Amino acid sequence: MIPMTITEKIMALNSGRDKVVPGQLVWVDVHSIMTMDYLGEQCFKQFRSLGVNEVFDKERVICVSDHLVPPPNEQFATMLNRWRQIVKEHEIAYFYDLGRQGIAHQIMVEQGHVLPGKVSIGTDSHANTYGAVGAVGNAIGVTDAAVAMATGKCWFRVPESVKFVIKGTWQPYVMAKDLSLHIMGMMHWNGHLIYKTLEFTGEAIEALDMAGRMTLCNMTVDLGAKNGIVAPDAVTQAYLSGVAKGDWEMIASDPDAHYDAVYEVDVTNVGPTVALPDKLDDTVPVEKVVGRKFNKAFVGTCTNGRVEDFAVMAEILEGKQIHRDVNMIVVPASQAVYLEALKRGYLQTLVEAGAAIDTPSCAACAGIHTGVAGDGDIVLSAGNRNMKGRMGSKNAQIYLTSPAVVAASAIRGEITDPRETGTY
Amino acid sequence: MAKITGKCWVASDYVMAYDIIIQRFWTSPIDKAENAKWVMAGVAEEFNRENGFVEGGFTFIVAAHNFAGGGKSIEHVVAGLMGAGIQAVFANSFSRLQFRNAINYGLPFITCRDLAKGCQTGDELEWDTESGTVLNLRTGEAFHSVPVAPFVADVAAEGGLMNFIRNKIADGSIHELH
Ligand code: SF4
Repeated sequence: MIPMTITEKIMALNSGRDKVVPGQLVWVDVHSIMTMDYLGEQCFKQFRSLGVNEVFDKERVICVSDHLVPPPNEQFATMLNRWRQIVKEHEIAYFYDLGRQGIAHQIMVEQGHVLPGKVSIGTDSHANTYGAVGAVGNAIGVTDAAVAMATGKCWFRVPESVKFVIKGTWQPYVMAKDLSLHIMGMMHWNGHLIYKTLEFTGEAIEALDMAGRMTLCNMTVDLGAKNGIVAPDAVTQAYLSGVAKGDWEMIASDPDAHYDAVYEVDVTNVGPTVALPDKLDDTVPVEKVVGRKFNKAFVGTCTNGRVEDFAVMAEILEGKQIHRDVNMIVVPASQAVYLEALKRGYLQTLVEAGAAIDTPSCAACAGIHTGVAGDGDIVLSAGNRNMKGRMGSKNAQIYLTSPAVVAASAIRGEITDPRETGTY
Repeated sequence: MAKITGKCWVASDYVMAYDIIIQRFWTSPIDKAENAKWVMAGVAEEFNRENGFVEGGFTFIVAAHNFAGGGKSIEHVVAGLMGAGIQAVFANSFSRLQFRNAINYGLPFITCRDLAKGCQTGDELEWDTESGTVLNLRTGEAFHSVPVAPFVADVAAEGGLMNFIRNKIADGSIHELH
């Protein structure tokens, strides 16, 4: 047998082959397909135009309302009504609509719709998040979704793999987001990662909880990569037990598998990190930007809207007040996250500190609703994208960073190193 | 249809998908003619008006690195380019999301390393679809691109993935997809 990486093995296994090689185009069986409110209607329409009436498996086409809920205007309310109708017509088993909603990628992982050793796809770019459980997770367009809904299959170009070995120990208030931004700054948009699979390994990855793995895999798309993946281990098994919808396989790369490149990062030396406005790969250690003023703080999204993120924020903001010049919006990534953060008291701490909590959705992340940026706003965000206009106005600036940095900075109204707030 | 001739538009590195189709149109219906009207509006000031890019009358785009990147999966990008008359895009590298969309719609996205260095906007190019050779008719210089893969050619020949699948459903060969 030729040695293979985890991604090659998953592609081979799910396409009925003994082996695959990078560059090969193969049709792969998909385990689950996600689509959501603003593209879903088009997916079903395309699907119907194939001359098929029933999806390949009603339990494996997952529908979510996340970008447009709750609808901020009449146009979106009407779109959502059509969306609900079409989901109902197709007797979709799992429909996470307002009331049971969440950001699709969070839902797919937390509800066990993505599994180790399988391939799952979604009509949104951050479907890479699914790599956190050892699945190949990929974003696809409406056409691919329609074909997959009909056939249960999707074509793929087998990607080349790049390995990131993450060593060392995580320092206090350093989060997976900081590592993502660090890698972003290290690799730049130099093209080395375009279309590649990024495989994260090493002791610091083994030490990472599922929330951190999701953050890390989530942002691989923003590096231009095809997908990111963490091999399943005991953390994965514990996370999936009781929620997994289906059986799975523990798959790992062969020790002598081929990688296009191997990079090593010692996380001991990674501190809180910030991406400067407009460019994701323009990242600096927080020390370099300490003292810069901002007026809006945003924590949520498929990157950093999880219980673990709110735990760190609550720890920092406990008994403190958010600066009067800062408006902070916090949006849990799903109803399950919302409920858990409520039960643990994190949201109470955040509200007492002066944060506004909103119902789970993509919120201002894509500039659609709930706290969009206006002219002159300077936003400190724990989201994933900061190009001009992303959160609304083109005349706003967006800094990206971790929930810990956002929380600590909100107290002072200027960018602050969370490792220092204890003494403040 | 072995040879296609037409005018090219030369792009810089990192022409982003969200600039090819600007935010205002992300939720509009996918429609080649409609999407073409404002295609490229965010890429250059001269295209930021109705039919700004279409009126250029381009057949090819010659780009450099990471064409249509930035992580947006919207199909309006490829639909808009096709609606504007584009028949192939040559670049050093492409974003994977739009590479997929392009193959699915039957618009060849072709890897060709040095073409950008040997072309200016407005040059007439002649592309031999079978051999992959691209000839710049102004300078006489020839470039070699990666030939189109058989699966990609099959999909394009049937007018895109939807038709390709429809035909396979109709003739019962859908289960043979491999
Ligand atoms: S939270 Fe933001 S990045 Fe994530 S799916 Fe929603 S809009 Fe996209």
